[in-house]
Amino acid sequence: MAVLRPAEQRRTFERLANIREIVFGVQDGVLTTAGVLAGLSGAVPVRSQVILAALASTVAGALSMGAGAYLGTHAESAVLRNELDRVRRESEGQRYMVQESLLGALAREGLSREAGYRVVKLLSSSPNVLYATAEEKLYGLSGATFGNAMVDGMLMGVAFLAGALVPLLPFVLIASVRTGLIAGMGTTALVLFAVGYIFEGRLSGERYPALAGLRFLAIALGAAAIGYMIGLLIAPIGTVPAG
Amino acid sequence: MLKPGDAAPPFDLPCVFDDKLSHLSLDGIRSEMVVLFFYPRDFSFICPTEVVGFHKARAAFKAEHTSIIGISVDHAETHRRWAHELGGISYPLLADDGGKLARAYGVLDENENVAMRATFILDSKRTIVYTVASPINVGRSVSETLRVVRALRSGKLCPADWEPGGDFGPPDGKY
Repeated sequence: MAVLRPAEQRRTFERLANIREIVFGVQDGVLTTAGVLAGLSGAVPVRSQVILAALASTVAGALSMGAGAYLGTHAESAVLRNELDRVRRESEGQRYMVQESLLGALAREGLSREAGYRVVKLLSSSPNVLYATAEEKLYGLSGATFGNAMVDGMLMGVAFLAGALVPLLPFVLIASVRTGLIAGMGTTALVLFAVGYIFEGRLSGERYPALAGLRFLAIALGAAAIGYMIGLLIAPIGTVPAG
Repeated sequence: MLKPGDAAPPFDLPCVFDDKLSHLSLDGIRSEMVVLFFYPRDFSFICPTEVVGFHKARAAFKAEHTSIIGISVDHAETHRRWAHELGGISYPLLADDGGKLARAYGVLDENENVAMRATFILDSKRTIVYTVASPINVGRSVSETLRVVRALRSGKLCPADWEPGGDFGPPDGKY
């Protein structure tokens, strides 16, 4: 007989909540580094300088993305916790309103009013349980909502770094700039497809994971292409006329 | 919402009384005065204090020849289970299924389709002589309702905060 393991399942949900950081970090690391390599390969004739610049961009990007994710989650959690504390203080002064609202929420989800009343009455025997349940049911707030700033920051940074290595490694390992660049673009496309295939296709239970992979690839490359075209359009603005 | 001086709309509705399902009409109530109190819903955390409060004060109202009738939009059977939940209610709970009676008294919340927390006191001619409505988060005072019944039955000019045994009117016109 299958037994629920709530603590284990909760950890799984918390890990899944970090998919955003992983996908975001990998996608950004892959595309940013591929863009840097492609751009510099045309402009800088010395291969080692291109690699050095790409490495510097990778480290700076990973640190910046990691710090950004840490600060973002930290600020979001602080604001949410403050708001939750304020709501909790208000709720404690009007407990019956919390009970009534929770009862209404349960009734809207299909429980009979009478059954809902008994459930809420039972929960009310422990005020902390009542308020915590109300916060989850009424405001959708739970432990996972607040995130973990350190974990988010680390994941984002590492994901960016891992993504950056995808176009960078072939470029470093293959002596020819042109071949290395083509191989780097190939692995970039492959990894973007794989990220979409795994996270949006397989893990989300989509019927055709390959389509999810192609969609992810198209969106990521589409964004890069649009950025490249905008760059081409605005390039003349920065050109200093000769003479 | 109806006001003092208006004729009380009649009713003939299912009810629960003494744990039994039956019918009650306004014409069938023989007491001198009637307190009709509307409340939003059975199985609610806001209303029980009032419902139980009137139950506990029933003897005092009876001594004033006054009937108490509770009314909500719930079914009679739900009233019966609710009365059980509260430990028994000694006055009739009317089942205003659909809110027709609440609408007639002007106290139906059309958005929520439940009655507001409103109280009407009717005299022997079944004319409304007192009304009060309360927001959802403020319970009505049973003792205040009883005080008003006593003041109305005195038939005299009752000053603010008058209590039985107190002076009537300002005899010399001074405040």
